[in-house]
Amino acid sequence: MWAYAIRRLLLAVPTLIGASLVIFAMVHLAPGDPIAAVMPADATQAEIEATKKAYGFDKPLPVQYLYWLGRVAHGDLGRSIATRRPVIEDVRDSLRHSLALAVSSSLVAFGLGIGLGLLAAFRQGRVLDKLASAIAVVGVSVPHYWAGIILIIIFSVHLNWLPAMGAGSEGGLAEYLRHLTLPTVALSLIPLGVITRVVRSAALDILAQEFVLALSAKGLWHRTVFFHVVKNAAPQILTVLGLQFGFQLGGSVLVETVFSWPGTGYLLNLAIFQRDIPVLQGVILVLAAFFVLLNLTVDILQSLVDPRIARH
Amino acid sequence: MAIAVAGSGVTAVAHPPMSYWRAVGWRLRRDPITLAAGGLLALIVLAAVLAPILAPHDPNAGSIRLRLAALGTADHWLGTDEQGRDMLSRLLHGGRMTLLAGLTPVLVAFVVGTVLGVAAGFVGGLPNHLIMRTMDIFYAFPAVLLAIAISGSLGPGLWNTLISLSVVFIPRVVRVAESVTVQVKSLEFISAARASGAGIGQIMRHHLLANVLGPILVFASTQVSLSIILAAGLSFLGLGVTPPAAEWGLMLNTLRGSIYVNAWVPALPGVAIFLTSMTFNLLSDGLRDAMEIRS
Amino acid sequence: MRRLIAVTAVAVLALVFATSAFAQGGHLRIGMTASDIPYTGGQTDNGFEGFRFVGYQIYEPLINWDLTRGDRLPPLVPGLAESWEVRKDNPARWVFKLRKNVKFHDGSPFNADAVIFSFESIKKRDAPHFDSYGSAQVSFRLTALKGISKLDDYTVEIDTGAPTSFVPYQIVYMVIVSPTQWNKVKDWRKFAEQPSGTGPFKVTRFVPRERLELEPNRQYWNDKRMPKVDKLTLFPMPEPTTRLAALRSGQVDWIEVPPPDSIAQLKGAGFQVVTNSYPHNWTHTLRLDKEPWNNKLVRKAANYAIDRVGICKSLLNDMCIPATGVAYKGHPWFGNPKEVYEYNPNKARELLKQAGYGPGKSVPKAVHLISTSGSGQMLPLAMNELIQKNLKEVGLEVDLQPVEWNTLLTRWRAGFQTPDNQGLNAWNISWNFLEPWSGFGRFFHSKSVVPVSVNTMPYLNPEVDKLLDEAEKTFDIAKQDAILARIHEIIVDDAPWIFVAHDLNPRGLSAKVRGFVQPQSWFVDLTAATVR
Repeated sequence: MWAYAIRRLLLAVPTLIGASLVIFAMVHLAPGDPIAAVMPADATQAEIEATKKAYGFDKPLPVQYLYWLGRVAHGDLGRSIATRRPVIEDVRDSLRHSLALAVSSSLVAFGLGIGLGLLAAFRQGRVLDKLASAIAVVGVSVPHYWAGIILIIIFSVHLNWLPAMGAGSEGGLAEYLRHLTLPTVALSLIPLGVITRVVRSAALDILAQEFVLALSAKGLWHRTVFFHVVKNAAPQILTVLGLQFGFQLGGSVLVETVFSWPGTGYLLNLAIFQRDIPVLQGVILVLAAFFVLLNLTVDILQSLVDPRIARH
Repeated sequence: MAIAVAGSGVTAVAHPPMSYWRAVGWRLRRDPITLAAGGLLALIVLAAVLAPILAPHDPNAGSIRLRLAALGTADHWLGTDEQGRDMLSRLLHGGRMTLLAGLTPVLVAFVVGTVLGVAAGFVGGLPNHLIMRTMDIFYAFPAVLLAIAISGSLGPGLWNTLISLSVVFIPRVVRVAESVTVQVKSLEFISAARASGAGIGQIMRHHLLANVLGPILVFASTQVSLSIILAAGLSFLGLGVTPPAAEWGLMLNTLRGSIYVNAWVPALPGVAIFLTSMTFNLLSDGLRDAMEIRS
Repeated sequence: MRRLIAVTAVAVLALVFATSAFAQGGHLRIGMTASDIPYTGGQTDNGFEGFRFVGYQIYEPLINWDLTRGDRLPPLVPGLAESWEVRKDNPARWVFKLRKNVKFHDGSPFNADAVIFSFESIKKRDAPHFDSYGSAQVSFRLTALKGISKLDDYTVEIDTGAPTSFVPYQIVYMVIVSPTQWNKVKDWRKFAEQPSGTGPFKVTRFVPRERLELEPNRQYWNDKRMPKVDKLTLFPMPEPTTRLAALRSGQVDWIEVPPPDSIAQLKGAGFQVVTNSYPHNWTHTLRLDKEPWNNKLVRKAANYAIDRVGICKSLLNDMCIPATGVAYKGHPWFGNPKEVYEYNPNKARELLKQAGYGPGKSVPKAVHLISTSGSGQMLPLAMNELIQKNLKEVGLEVDLQPVEWNTLLTRWRAGFQTPDNQGLNAWNISWNFLEPWSGFGRFFHSKSVVPVSVNTMPYLNPEVDKLLDEAEKTFDIAKQDAILARIHEIIVDDAPWIFVAHDLNPRGLSAKVRGFVQPQSWFVDLTAATVR
């Protein structure tokens, strides 16, 4: 298992480097002078010269990349063009909120998803299965940003039960949770659908195995079979859980925009409009690094659950 | 013999080509839900293609004095938008944009991804490593983030959306294609064909492709729904199609401010995205069921 | 036993009275259209919304606007300067007598040194306390102020180079910051996190991108303007729908620019919607050195192509009035322009034909930079879509490029000639005409060309130059108004802008907000408001 873990870790390094290359290239992808992409239009000549030197814009691209990488390694992600604050601060502040949203949304999606999926598999073909599957298909097909808007109309404007926007950070935990509710529901819809379907499918595959049928014929239903299913479906389920957590952390832009939830997605959206490339780069870099680590963790966990994977 | 592709939920069976596909087609026709979904999709696509003929009004023409008319208004059965343009016409024309922006990247990903993935899987060794590790880099980003990163850098516009979404989906297809190819390659009848002296081209065509295209196609079909939601989502953020073009995501964005006046009309583009997305999901489900065999 | 109950009851009543006497002003929560907290380091950003909620609440200039009445244009009144006058022996110098016994929020005293410090932070590039960001925000408004000197601790003298009557109008945009506080941190960003001014409100908590919390400045020098609320919180909310939802669900008590469609509903649900005319102008400011807007006939055609009545009545529910010039009819500067722009697509097409365009030769496409929200920008996306449509109908193709408001302002100040802006043909920015410099001087004088000020078009007309110089030298208001009216007539005829609408400044307030008077201005006085 250790050999696998180390191999996986080593594999993560080139992935990170590759991701950083893509992110680094973004400044040069943007139309116009790269210096205009990182400096405000009214910067003084002195500021422009200083930045040029720090970024090494007059040097060849590979050298520029190394300069950038060096700065990133020191935690210097540059300065936001709009606020002049260090990007790392903005990213840190917003990451907290995105994590809160991703975790709460994952709890809902994973809990309900696994529950519904297993329910559907064990009651295959019957009403509960059809119901659970219908919920899953709806969840996967719904545009979550639209769902968010509908939730606001119903629960915020008409019923006035829940707040429509922001994080309520001044009101303590209870206020924060109230503000978290609607975004959580909106964000959890698609993962709920995906997880339900995957769990159902994986469970069905295992249930169809001959010896399981034999077991049930012998009357050894329920607990034994249940645990057997869970244990064998675990690798597949783990993979999808990891992917979906990633989706909720990195893909929350649309939901955060609708609810003005001050997370990384909201920051990203603002940065896009403000053409604030340093913030864009910083946020995406941090999120991508998070992912690579997340995938790494999920893969290692999987190999623990199912040793066969480590030998692959 | 069943081939499982980890994580994608795709299982397929290796069979001699002809009777297999016939069986698949037969199973597809028997499933009522798949048929219904297929029918609905055909309607949606037809409506989009024939939009210029079907639309009762010019989607860009409207009088602001008629704005936000409710559902069921004479001459504007689905109401009008915030600029007074007919919703039915805009939904029809919007379908073309959304379908184009949603389907094209998956199609591009299917073609490019299959070529890259099958090649990587078949050849193996260093080329496989190079291709797969490169794909891993892009796979490291969640779809939305990568799409935004690219679109955000390139700027708004239909072309940039197509490019960024293609970049999002190609790595996924490559992964599936490579995985399936590796497994089929190791099957007995392939080595038998090799032993009997068949050339690579022949092996590819007759045995490999016929068996891998199925699972790859199923996987690609599962991505269409996401692609549509993402394309509309990019327009919703202002990164996709630009005004005054009719596109469902963009319409959702511009109508957002009007939800307090008239909740139904602004909901329509969302309903359209939802329905289209769902038909694709149901169809791909049906396709996958038809191609699986459970003993 | 009964006595115990009685005593307790009295004690409880007393407590209730006491606490309600303490906390009677309430907590005013405001949703702004800005997408981030305006810069709190002094010379603020985000346009006039920055001045409105941050610049003029935390800080003050030497001269203030009197914003307490809504029935007349606000006059200038003494602020941190008790009096000011131009020197008889040298009309290019103004003497300001400063107010005594004024303290900054950090406790340090306000005096001439603070005024000089603030001036240098904007104008003196080599000073250690030069604020490059703040200076960029405001220096184009202060072109007449060439130098400053200290006559004594409470008197400063401003040098304007050539005599100009515009000085008070420019002084009003320069707020005074605390040198003592700055010297503690020696960095403008840190200063912005713990700002110190002399204004009626002081900052208690600053959460970037989320909120700015303020409380009344109990040491404020003007007891007539001591804030009545207990707490003031500002939220950036660039999306109209979000602002509306926040107001309706009670998350905020006051929102800027509610979506016009919701106004009837808001009123029906018991909210207050206040409006007032003010010197505001929503325009497309055209680039005059490139096709297509370099041709006067084409510009006039564009002005005849716009359905202003449709925009104001149907799109904006009467929250604006059509604009046919820089000022509106009834304003002292309106004059008697020859052209009266109205919705006349046929006339527009005629003019284009006269300009030589038609079926054989189409007008080159134009690219206009617009914003998605912002101070005075009203509903930019909806309005611009309509304008784009109107223009297309007569044969004028315009591409819209939306950017964030502060980004738009930054790019505008840099002018059309930068690489970033080379491909553009117009900015969609709303202007104020609070005083002659903002209304005309900064745009239409040849000496205001970028980077000195913001004549970006550039508009170069020697006749207007002469008239503006004359207005600047005229200290008599009535005579000055007459000259400005003549300038206005020329501008309307030259049509360097597409004139669209004058906003009526709608705000949505909850029924609990009392005491607020909406002035005929871009700015507001928050000190009289209470929230019960």
